[in-house]
Formats: sequence, C-alpha cells, structure tokens
Amino acid sequence: MSESTQFPSDEQLTAFIDGELAPDEAARIEALVQTDARVAERFELLSRASLPFGAAFEPLLSQAPKAALEAMLSAIPLPASAKSEPAPAVAGRRRFLGALAACLVAGVIADRAFIGVKRQLAKGDEGSEWRAVVAEYIALYTPDTLVGPVPSNAAQAAQLAVLETKLGLPLPPEAIALPDVDFKRALLLQYDDQPLAQIAYLDPETGPLALCIVRSDDGSAAPRVEGRKGMNVVYWATPAHAFMLIGHAPVDRMQALAEAARARLAV
Amino acid sequence: MVVAHTPFPAYSRPKRSLPAGPAGSAAKPVAEVAIASEAEIRSGLTDHLSRLWRYGLVLSRRRDVADDLVQQTCVRALERAPQFQSGTRLDRWLFSILNSIWLNEIRSRRVRQGQGFVNAEEVLVIDGAGLTEAHVMANQVLRLVNALPEAQRAAVFLAYVEGLSYKEVAGVLDIPIGTVMSRLAAARATLSGSVTGNLAGEGGR
Repeated sequence: MSESTQFPSDEQLTAFIDGELAPDEAARIEALVQTDARVAERFELLSRASLPFGAAFEPLLSQAPKAALEAMLSAIPLPASAKSEPAPAVAGRRRFLGALAACLVAGVIADRAFIGVKRQLAKGDEGSEWRAVVAEYIALYTPDTLVGPVPSNAAQAAQLAVLETKLGLPLPPEAIALPDVDFKRALLLQYDDQPLAQIAYLDPETGPLALCIVRSDDGSAAPRVEGRKGMNVVYWATPAHAFMLIGHAPVDRMQALAEAARARLAV
Repeated sequence: MVVAHTPFPAYSRPKRSLPAGPAGSAAKPVAEVAIASEAEIRSGLTDHLSRLWRYGLVLSRRRDVADDLVQQTCVRALERAPQFQSGTRLDRWLFSILNSIWLNEIRSRRVRQGQGFVNAEEVLVIDGAGLTEAHVMANQVLRLVNALPEAQRAAVFLAYVEGLSYKEVAGVLDIPIGTVMSRLAAARATLSGSVTGNLAGEGGR
C-alpha cells in the first residue's frame, strides 16, 4: 500500500502532531502512520521534538523586570490621538481586563469575561456535539490501532506536555493513568478550531478506550452516561474543561474508570 | 466483546456551536461594539508586560533589547488603542505589535549599525541556586530553542509556549499559515535531531 499512498510531508505530520488538521485529514494521516513503517518512523522522529516547552519557558516570566516595566508604562503620557470613547460597556470591559490578570497565572488568557453571557446561550445539550465527533473517530479504532509497547514515563510526559499547553490543564502521567488499562498515546486533535486532547488506552479485555478533553466554560457537571456508536460514554465537566471517557467496556466499569480519572484530574 | 448498550438517551441534534468554550482565536471575535479605550489598553498592557518581555527576549536574546521592545510596544499600543477590536484577544494583538517593531525597527537598526548580536548562549537560561533536575531539563530545552534560526524560534515560541493556533501565529508574524507550518516542521526536524538523554526519555528510541 505504501507504493500508492502519498507520503505525508513534514508539514502535514507536524500539523497532525499539533492537532491542526481537519478531522478527515487527521484520520488519513493517522491511518498512514499505522500502516506505513516509513511514515511511522518520520512521525516518531518529529514527535520527539514535543518537548515540555511551556514548563521550560515559564521561569523566564519571573525574570522580567516587572516593576520597572510597570513604572515605564505608567510614565507614558496619554497620547493625544487616543481620545477614549466612553463606550457603554466600559465598566464591563474593565472587569474583563482585570480578570485577565487572574487568568494569566494559568496561562489561560481568554475572553472569559464573556463567560456569563455565553454560558446562558450555551446551555442545553449543545456540548454534546463534540462527543458525537469523538465517537465517530474512536469507532474506527481496533485493538490493532493501538498495538505496540506502552511508552515510557518520559515519553508519556512529552506527549502530554503538548496537550497541557493547549488546554491549560496539568496532565502528569500519574493523573491520566487508569487502573488495569494501558496508556498508549496522547494526541492533540482539533474540534471546531479548539484543541481536543485524546488520550488513548488499550483495555486487554474490551479494546480501545479514550479519554478526551476540550476547554469548556459551560460549568461543572457531574458524570453522566450515554451510548454512542455502540460504545459507552461517561462525560463530565469542571469549570474550565469538558471530559469524556469512551470505550467498549460495560457501563459500570466505564463509570469506575471515569471516577478514577476524575478524582486525579480534579482541579 | 460485550457492549452494554445503554438505555440512556442519545443526544442528537448536531448543530454548529462552540462547546469547547470561548478561549478561541481572534478569528471568532465575540461581538462587542465597544471601541477599546486607551485606559483599557493600558490596563491590559499591565497584565501582559511579563509575557511581552519574554517574547522580546526570545526574539532578541538580549534583556536590554527586550526592555526596549516592551516599552515601544506599550507606546504603539496606546497610540493605536482605537484600532484594537474589542472582543478579540489583546495578547495576540500586542504580540503582533511587538513583532513588527522588532522586525521593522529594532532588528534592522541594529544590523545597520553593525552591532550584530552576541550569541547570547546564557540569556535564555534559568539561573539561581540549587538547580534541580527540572531546571536542568528546562535549560536544555531553552538552549535547543535558542539555537534555532530566529524565524523558527518565534514560531515555536508562539505555538508551543504561548499555545497559539497556527492561524494566530500567522496573524502575529504576518505570514501565511503555510509558512508557519514549514517553520514548525523545520524546527521539529532540527530539535528532534538534537534531543538527547533524559529529555527524550526512552520515547526517543
């Protein structure tokens, strides 16, 4: 098959690793990685550069001469050109900008002042669409999709570091380890222009299993269960993220696994 | 394999929505009519000073130049406050201002004046007593990134440290998305060749 398949470019593989490909394109590349040893080798090589960048650069923030920079800023006079337009939402915007400071610590700089409004709009089951998309994707997995050795702790940490940066959520290997199933890999995908983390496991008894995470501000939600594509899904949410665990195991086992994940990922 | 099919209601009604929350890109501004005022930009700047300085440091590899870059970025952002679109992400906008000042003013001037750049090996490091293993690893990563060509370094920093999407990186650097991809791919190829030891873990193989 490798003769007839188009070998993906480094750019495509990089975009795949970074979760920047559309689902169909990502699925195509993933299939190639699974079936073509040369593609797999190139993918491995480029993945090796998924270093803990966020953690490495974090300490530089505290090296910034913050006090001096603040003094500099307040010394800049009001430019004549910037006649402020007293907008109706000034107070709201102020609060928004103030809120930015709080989010900064977590590296989550978001338009979160709009959370309240959005939350009202986003109620209902709109949050379910991403789970439908994930289910479609995971339905394509077989146990063979996830063959191979369990990555080392360091390799897991490197894969997870990419997801941590994109999701603003600490994901140490210990936290995402699930009882009696093997971690296989962590992938960054994209859903609706948003990062989507997919952590794949192999359950020796029932096959592929995946824990998926997106950013979400729909508010916390206790675990619930649903069926999709012949699989069982347990989904829940924290104030900043939505989670789903999907797999072929029976409901009670899925709930137990989800509970284990939830306890360790509780923020 | 036995699949316990559930009696739970399947949620249907797929519909275009933003379930993943609003932490999105500038491409999807939340509609808000207000024009940003100078005072609002000033307050936002205060929050982003350290991140701007860090980006300045990554670009210039010099602390004094990073200071200058932040200062000029502040001046420019305040002048252009009316141009900032409320509802888009202020940090992205500030990054793009800093980037263009660096490219069009400071960098070119330094090259003209023949000052060049010290190969500031030690600028991008974490100093301080009692280096832990984590620090050692962090310094390794910083050194690897620091050794990349400037264009790749900027793309790597924005995408992998600041977590910007390709589209946002393209916006900040004012280049096509395809160029972002090729810079990141080239950087990955270089980095993966240099990764050694505990950094790669056994994942390197």
